[in-house]
Amino acid sequence: MFELLGASLLDVLQWKYLLPLALGTLAGIVGGALPGVTITMTIILVLPFTFGLDPLQGLAAMTGVYVGGECGGLITACLIGIPGTPSAIATMFDGFPMAQKGEPGRAVWLGVWASVAGGLLGAVFLIATTGPLAAFALEFGPWEYFSLFILALSMVAGLTEASLLKGLLAGAIGMVITVIGADPIMAIPRLTMGSEFLRGGFPFLPILIGIFAFAQIVADVEKMSAGRATPTPLPPPTLAVSHLAVIREIVSRPFLLLWSTIIGLLIGVLPAIGGSAANIMAYDQAKKFSRHPERFGTGIPEGIIASESSNNSNVAGSLVTIMAFGIPGDAVTAVMLGAMIIHGIQPGPLFISQEPRIAYGIFAAYLLAHPLAVVTIALGTRLFLKIVTVPKSALIAVVLVLCTVGAYALNNIMDNVWVLFIFGLFGYALVKLGFPLAPLILGVILGDQIEVNLVRAIMTDANPWLFLTRPISGALIALSVASVVLAVWQHHRTRSRLAQAPEPDLDF
Amino acid sequence: MLGRDGLAGLACLAGSLWLLALTRGLPHPALVPIGPSFYPRIVLSVTAILSAVLVVTDLLARRRARRAGEGRPAAPGARRNVGLVAATFALFAGYVALLPLLGFRVATGLFVLVIQAVLDEEPRRHWLRILLVSACTAALTHLAFEGYLSVLLPRGRWTGL
Repeated sequence: MFELLGASLLDVLQWKYLLPLALGTLAGIVGGALPGVTITMTIILVLPFTFGLDPLQGLAAMTGVYVGGECGGLITACLIGIPGTPSAIATMFDGFPMAQKGEPGRAVWLGVWASVAGGLLGAVFLIATTGPLAAFALEFGPWEYFSLFILALSMVAGLTEASLLKGLLAGAIGMVITVIGADPIMAIPRLTMGSEFLRGGFPFLPILIGIFAFAQIVADVEKMSAGRATPTPLPPPTLAVSHLAVIREIVSRPFLLLWSTIIGLLIGVLPAIGGSAANIMAYDQAKKFSRHPERFGTGIPEGIIASESSNNSNVAGSLVTIMAFGIPGDAVTAVMLGAMIIHGIQPGPLFISQEPRIAYGIFAAYLLAHPLAVVTIALGTRLFLKIVTVPKSALIAVVLVLCTVGAYALNNIMDNVWVLFIFGLFGYALVKLGFPLAPLILGVILGDQIEVNLVRAIMTDANPWLFLTRPISGALIALSVASVVLAVWQHHRTRSRLAQAPEPDLDF
Repeated sequence: MLGRDGLAGLACLAGSLWLLALTRGLPHPALVPIGPSFYPRIVLSVTAILSAVLVVTDLLARRRARRAGEGRPAAPGARRNVGLVAATFALFAGYVALLPLLGFRVATGLFVLVIQAVLDEEPRRHWLRILLVSACTAALTHLAFEGYLSVLLPRGRWTGL
């Protein structure tokens, strides 16, 4: 393992890989720093640039975007009080007050070094557990895979902020999208209504681009009503700080750092939740464990350390899930999964044994992206803040063009661009109706695999009870049921608490 | 009277029942025990049931709200620019339709120009920036993808570009 990792580190340190990694990290930081441009959107924009690259070059660039994006979000969160990404929301709670108190350098660098610490601790987990988890997944038959995918879907539906019912329905709609087109066993066209356009089914990357990038852009357009101009940030004061003192501040809180990292990792491992939940949850935990919770939100280092170490370790958790099981941990890894498939790589339990060079290359890229992010932020924070002033009208136009190129270049056909447009409309409508998008996209990604494994299991043995009586499959199904029951219980508890709560005294 | 969730559930229910009816026409091959309609029927039935539950839940919630006298009008939210959203979708649809006719460079240049003019708060004042951004976007993306990354972009049937 260490030999492979060492060789991969040397591999990725070559210019051929280091340059895409560095450019990806830079793109991630800029995208992460831009409010309204999420990491998912940034990685979607970078995707078409990777088509002409070697698989490891492309994946290194994407890993750089992922790590850089998590770091970039904190810059605007701390300096102008606008989180660049949802995963930097909790960073803003203490980062911005600290910057306002005259310590912007301390706020930014506490975040950056906490990100690095959380990310590198996450790397230990990533490297140590991916192989054993993949080996465990090799024991799986079609029954276990089917149950695992059902567990992933039920967990995502249950953990979404909107209602459980809408989460489940969104996941089911995602699965319905995958049944349109040729069936995976006999290639018989299904539900195509005689249309040639529908015969091949909907490719998942244009769907992803439509739902996550296009629909998001349109949601931004909707807010461009009165007073459309973006607020111009004030030029930041000096960010000079003693790095040793900042690092000492972080390592002097080992429990906080470790616990926040673990929270980030666990949330990363769960499919499709992401850093936005990780940073809030870690912040909340840090506050609960603190001896002085009342000081949170006033500009204390604990809030920044908890939030930033968790959102970067979350990246490692997501990478574990995709590399060991082939299930995307969040929307960013869903795009990475698409990129792997385009390059002829099938992520899953066999990935690490069949493609060790690429698997360890991703580990190496993940490790190296952290120092690259530090260097990039040290050199360019002032420049990134200037980029925030780019007019939204220009930014939206360029993003839409890159989305179009990304969808078209998949197979060089216009049909994919129409799919992007249709799902942009559909995603926007779903957002307006209050449906969560994460279960939908997971349903689209896993729908085919669920069908293939279900059919394979029944063709091997027609006994449907095997899904329950095989130990691993049965345990996974039980966990799926438990996650739905837990979500229902939590929902009811919240509702009854709200109903029992006394009317607040309103002082007019 | 149905609310937003109820209407969404009703639309999903209608869609899933319609697709479920379409699965009846699918052939059943003799070679395999499970036909192509097996999985879609399961998924569509689940979707139909969930949609129906959403409709019922919405109806019950609204009835409860009426009984509790919560029929007060909701507080007005932030003003949303629906016209701008519709224009963005329409412009993008036009761009996609024109791409194979005008080619990537011309269609992209036009699209970026028009969409900026629509979205910008003062397009007349920023005309030079709008013009530069549209020309640079079309030229640089073409150069990067076709020239450097060997990714082919749409050619125009009308322009030959």
